[in-house]
Amino acid sequence: MTYKYFFGCVIPGRLPYLEASARKIFEKLGINVSDQTQYSCCPDPTGVAALDHKSWLALGARNLSLYENDNSDVLSLCSGCTETLKAVQHILNNDPEEKKEINSILNKIGKKYQGNINIKHFAQVLFENLDLIKENIIKPLKDLKVACHPGCHYLRPSEIIQWDDPFEPITLDVIVEALGAEPVDYELKKDCCGNPLEKSNKELSQKLLLNKLESIKKAGADCIVCVCPACYQQFDFNQRELNKNLNTDFNFPVFYLTELIALALGIKGEEIGLKFHRVRVNNLLQKIKILDAPNK
Amino acid sequence: MAVIDFEFRNSIIQKDLGNTLSYCYQCGTCSGVCPVAQVTKGRYNPRKLILNSLLGLKENLLLGAENNFNIWGCTVCDTCDEMCPQNVELTEIFTILKNMSVKKGEAPDYYTTQAKFILEHGKAIPLAPAIERRREQMGLPKTPKVDKKEIRALLKETGLVKIIGSLEEEKKEGVK
Repeated sequence: MTYKYFFGCVIPGRLPYLEASARKIFEKLGINVSDQTQYSCCPDPTGVAALDHKSWLALGARNLSLYENDNSDVLSLCSGCTETLKAVQHILNNDPEEKKEINSILNKIGKKYQGNINIKHFAQVLFENLDLIKENIIKPLKDLKVACHPGCHYLRPSEIIQWDDPFEPITLDVIVEALGAEPVDYELKKDCCGNPLEKSNKELSQKLLLNKLESIKKAGADCIVCVCPACYQQFDFNQRELNKNLNTDFNFPVFYLTELIALALGIKGEEIGLKFHRVRVNNLLQKIKILDAPNK
Repeated sequence: MAVIDFEFRNSIIQKDLGNTLSYCYQCGTCSGVCPVAQVTKGRYNPRKLILNSLLGLKENLLLGAENNFNIWGCTVCDTCDEMCPQNVELTEIFTILKNMSVKKGEAPDYYTTQAKFILEHGKAIPLAPAIERRREQMGLPKTPKVDKKEIRALLKETGLVKIIGSLEEEKKEGVK
């Protein structure tokens, strides 16, 4: 089995620089991942499922059928997509009646769901190739204290996700440590970032974000690492607004795990579009000598 | 006074997604671990949402999107069902309740907006020329175009087109 990317909606449509960092590291590590071009929205486990569960199942099953047809496993760049695709597969593979109903719907568009491929989150694939990463590190990320934010759907529901521990997650910390950085533990590590409520209830969403940021600050981290574009946007895009609304002064650079790995593998900051971050990352990266200091 | 609606309660329990509802013995673990319960000082309360479902107190549950403390306060973080000693699948039960709330026209607008994008473009975020240019500058392939007709046909078959259509109608009538 080979891997094909599932980038989802948010990364290609809003955060293409994260897509660039992912493509570059998998290429550099020699892990062969190709493209599948016909997938739709996964669909969003916090959005479409709430609207209509059957539509969520059917769209998810259509996406899976594309990869099945290609004889490829899914390598997903987003925790939400990973959760949806794994949950759809779990439900349909354990409920023959539901599977029959969804297949009769898919039949109308000439597709069939079988349920015989693996769905992997990109961080899982990276964790499984940790030695390969270590062998290829050119610039170890020394003196960098990192707060890993696993996010909800990288871990839960554990019965479906079957990866890492739902309450004491360690895989991201192990990867970050392998890069030469120092992962820091913090009290609210397993908690939600608040992103799913951003559009429907800003106040609650910001309260959840505030709790996370306070906990991360208390632990003395220099930056935050995410593995989900929804969480990434909540931390990077909404930090400034939170500061304005709540009179706080948080200034944590937020990285996607693929970006930190890219830097450690010696890929240049310009190649992966670090300038597109809302919270500036240059000062921190210059301080730890990953980027050159500006000429004075 | 609230009216007990056993049909409502049974309609949750009889669904595959909701059949763990009756295992709940109201220990309150869910509310203790819920991050939203914490920031709302317990006003958003998953234990109470489950109790109201068990008792068939529909009016206490489907209150509309303006109420911060009903089912739409759930972030789907899956912490409560992970911790539940009785394996009640709270998130799944809230999904059923949210689906019911949608049919009553009570979902926050964001949810229907997102679904309309998917119906129209196949993706939750439509192609933006600025992002396409940025992709090109970064050497990324063009964003692939999904077969929109196929997605629409599928969602017509599942009933989503109809649900969104009737919500639109309601909104228009509301304006009149």
